[in-house]
Amino acid sequence: MKKINFTSVLIIGGFLLYMLLPILATYVFSIATRWDRTILPEGYTLEWYRTAIADKWFFIVFKHSLILSLSTVLVSVSIIVPTAYWVHLRLPKARPIMDTISILPFAIPGVVLALGLIRLYAHPPLMIGRNPYMLVAAYVIFTMPFMYRPVANSLEAVNIRVLTEAAQSLGSSWPRTILTVILPNILPGILSGGLLVFATIFGEFTIATFLVGARYKTFPMQLVYYTRRDGRIASAYSVISFTIAWVSSLFILWIVTWGAKRTSSGRSSKDKTLTPNVVGDVNELP
Amino acid sequence: MSYLDLLHLDKYFADVIAVRDFNLHVDEGEFVSLLGPSGCGKTTTLRMVAGFEMPDKGEIYLAGEEVTSLPPNKRGMGMVFQSYALFPNMTAWDNVAFGLRVAKMSSSQIRSRVSELFEMIGLSQVGNRYPSELSGGQQQRIALARALANEPKVLLLDEPLSALDAVVRVSLRKEIRRIQTRLGITTIYVTHDQEEALSISDRVVVMRQAVIEQVGTPEEIYVKPATRFVATFVGAINQFPGLLRDVSLGVIESRNVSGWTIAAQPISDGKLKNGAYVTVYVRPEEIHVSATDNPVDDDNRFTAVVKTITLLGPVTRLNLDFQGQPVIADIKTVDRGRFVLNEPVQLSFNRQACRVMDDSKAVD
Repeated sequence: MKKINFTSVLIIGGFLLYMLLPILATYVFSIATRWDRTILPEGYTLEWYRTAIADKWFFIVFKHSLILSLSTVLVSVSIIVPTAYWVHLRLPKARPIMDTISILPFAIPGVVLALGLIRLYAHPPLMIGRNPYMLVAAYVIFTMPFMYRPVANSLEAVNIRVLTEAAQSLGSSWPRTILTVILPNILPGILSGGLLVFATIFGEFTIATFLVGARYKTFPMQLVYYTRRDGRIASAYSVISFTIAWVSSLFILWIVTWGAKRTSSGRSSKDKTLTPNVVGDVNELP
Repeated sequence: MSYLDLLHLDKYFADVIAVRDFNLHVDEGEFVSLLGPSGCGKTTTLRMVAGFEMPDKGEIYLAGEEVTSLPPNKRGMGMVFQSYALFPNMTAWDNVAFGLRVAKMSSSQIRSRVSELFEMIGLSQVGNRYPSELSGGQQQRIALARALANEPKVLLLDEPLSALDAVVRVSLRKEIRRIQTRLGITTIYVTHDQEEALSISDRVVVMRQAVIEQVGTPEEIYVKPATRFVATFVGAINQFPGLLRDVSLGVIESRNVSGWTIAAQPISDGKLKNGAYVTVYVRPEEIHVSATDNPVDDDNRFTAVVKTITLLGPVTRLNLDFQGQPVIADIKTVDRGRFVLNEPVQLSFNRQACRVMDDSKAVD
């Protein structure tokens, strides 16, 4: 029988408890009737979810956050993917520069970024204003590392320059090369980058509050509003937010595993179902 | 004009010259190898032919038409890369069919053409596999089939075998040559492996430091190297640096007073004068080794001492000490029992085996 190492159990157990207890407590709190006088909740109910959803603001802020997250992903993909591709294809010397630029947002706190943007864009001479468009633009910068890194890793993993040249030597035009050779091979990177950006923006509070505030209320803003009124409804909001982030994370994990299998050591027959162009004339080989 | 003409090609990367005044005329159906050490400009030349690099000077003509500034997808050239470059998201079949789909061929035409190619490379069973499920040798055959699918005007191969192990390398190179001969396709093959270049090509272009050193048939390159570099880069060779004593008789003396005298063939190039610094080159297989008292007819006979005996397979290499100078000689392995370490032997060679080259302009 395998011997259990108590030190490992203690360390890993302690770590999991530290990480999961607050989340678990939030989940339980969101379905508890009352939980401030007893060790365990006094009863269980879905009332707080009902109240949260019944609020007319719920769907508005949900929609706002969804629009912001999706727009950010879209803009980010359309700016960062071509840039990363071109840098890897034609400007290999610029790669260290791009690597540095892409992690810069980590060094700038959200508050500083927001105030800086307001200072520049919402004051004369540039009166672009404090609107959701500005917010998306700020978010693209804020989440650049999340999009650039996975895409750059994908590009490095498949030697994109040689693949591009191989396609060209076979007569392929630029659009065809990008659509049929490049994109399918870096898709895992784009998808995981996109999901990371989506999850981050869906829960983002600081920049949104500073930049647009109550003019364009987001999901996290509403969550914060409820923490001041009723912690249990706020918990319900948190749980919904967590769930979205977790589903995204599971997707990322699945995509990354799929991508790794595709480009390296063989693929299982199950994975073939993921690639639509497998079938067709293949079976008709003599 | 030939089928493919490369005229006065120059290519710089920043301030570094990669290819200088490259001229080559390739006939239709010819197999030409570009051979040289890393960084000599052979791959850059191939990439200019493919259209991936633009020459800074010079022109490229294909079948009489200038293609110098034509983008790679309009040149109709098939390329095989060192790293195979198969599309990982496509099956072997889809990889081979890629170019045909680009050319908008009908699906029935594509089917029959791809089947034909798979049969030609002997891999009919692996069509539905992904590149990651194939061995290196299989991937490179698929890459070859893919490059040949659209019946390119020229086939370009950039060190296609250097990522493969020795056994696969030899069998695949024979296969490349067989397919090339069968299809009669004009081919340019880049390699740093001299044996590969000599065994596979109609002509070999030896390059060094951005320039061509010699263009010739494999035999010319091996037997009549034009420069010191070609002599020493292609195959093993012995060097005897000396002074030209008699041009008309082809007599060379050691630069040391008490040294040797070698009888070569009369020097007829007209440039070398008596007293010139020259080096005599002799291939190790041209040197005969025998017992010191063995009478031989060879023009040059010396005594040397066996220092090491190395078995190379069918031949055995003897490292000899000849008046303080190392000399290598290849003998049949079946004869190797006749030689004992540190014992004197007679080394001899004919004047026809000697290649005399001017040392005055020598650069290494």
